[in-house]
Amino acid sequence: MTMQLTPEAFAARKRRNVWIALGLVAFMVLLFTTTFLRMMHNQKAAREAQGLVPAASAPVAPAAINGAVVP
Amino acid sequence: MTKTAPTSMISTAQPEDFFQLLKPRVMSLVVFTGATGLVVAPGSINPFVAAIAVLCIAVGAGAAGALNMALEGETDALMRRTRGRPVAAGRVNKNDAMAFGCILSLFSVMLLGMNTNWLAAGLLALTIVYYAGFYTLMLKRRTPQNIVIGGAAGAFPPVIGWAAATGSAPWQAWLLFAIIFLWTPPHSWALALYSAGDYAKAGIPMMPVAKGAKSTRLQILIYTLIFVPVAIAPGLVGMGGWIYLAVSVAGGLGFLGLAVRLWRSRAGDEPDKAEAVGREAALYDVKAQAKPARNLFAFSILYLMALFAALLIENLSGVSPITLGF
Repeated sequence: MTMQLTPEAFAARKRRNVWIALGLVAFMVLLFTTTFLRMMHNQKAAREAQGLVPAASAPVAPAAINGAVVP
Repeated sequence: MTKTAPTSMISTAQPEDFFQLLKPRVMSLVVFTGATGLVVAPGSINPFVAAIAVLCIAVGAGAAGALNMALEGETDALMRRTRGRPVAAGRVNKNDAMAFGCILSLFSVMLLGMNTNWLAAGLLALTIVYYAGFYTLMLKRRTPQNIVIGGAAGAFPPVIGWAAATGSAPWQAWLLFAIIFLWTPPHSWALALYSAGDYAKAGIPMMPVAKGAKSTRLQILIYTLIFVPVAIAPGLVGMGGWIYLAVSVAGGLGFLGLAVRLWRSRAGDEPDKAEAVGREAALYDVKAQAKPARNLFAFSILYLMALFAALLIENLSGVSPITLGF
């Protein structure tokens, strides 16, 4: 069955399709960015857990910065 | 073979009509309260993650609104306040609105879960199901307490925001929930007092329709007496500072004053004569008679916005909360 669209219906459908496309693109961008941010966060947490980098929240003692042995 | 489809199958709905399905005005309040929950919660959150979380809460709330309009199209068409809505006015097909609401619900919950945590996503999903399923389909037509129980749906956003920021929902988040939950009955019933005719025509047992205007005015006063102390509470339990305390006390006294004035008035006593005596004259009559109800309705929106704005400003500007040894 072929639908006979009026010019008005055709224009409305076209505008809806453009907005659906924009919405999907926006969703993809958000999903990509979210995944990227979470990966960064997880990698940082893994490095902290392995002791490769100091934990972000733990204050670094001045003695440790100067290379002195902390008693 | 070429056949012409029935005109009902050909949609001329514009993107703006679909945007209207999201109830933008309600959505703006949801964004505001959700963002406040997110900002007030302890700890820090990546600003981009926070922005996506607020967007998800807004879209989820909008999706619930779209599902509500899809399910309530026929009822909305009977009431002056809602007859211009896209489904009620016939601009958007009921099934299209339903599909739109379902897809947005799915996307918003999924994205919030991936972006923050699944507690926040679960609460958002619960809010959508609660509003579209429990409130719209079950409560609204069955009990005059519809808005009391259903009000919980509108109260969830700050809890979702808090959960998105911290992964938990402690009592402080539920205090924000309680503020909106207790604010809803006086707010909605004040509106219902001057739209009772519409609700009666649509067969919705709102409190003024089911129990009468006098009982509604008394219940508004009782709920206000419970609501105002709860609204002040964040200023006394270490969540809000002096700005919040000043706004909540001054606004609370104003709210109480308007509720007392409404209780002593005769707002809602005379039936809505809009259809009987002509639209323009009737609207003027309703305005004159239901002025106290209109005043309380308008002030209630202002007061809720002011409460959450005070919390937001204090937290963003680093004003210390008041601690009274709690």
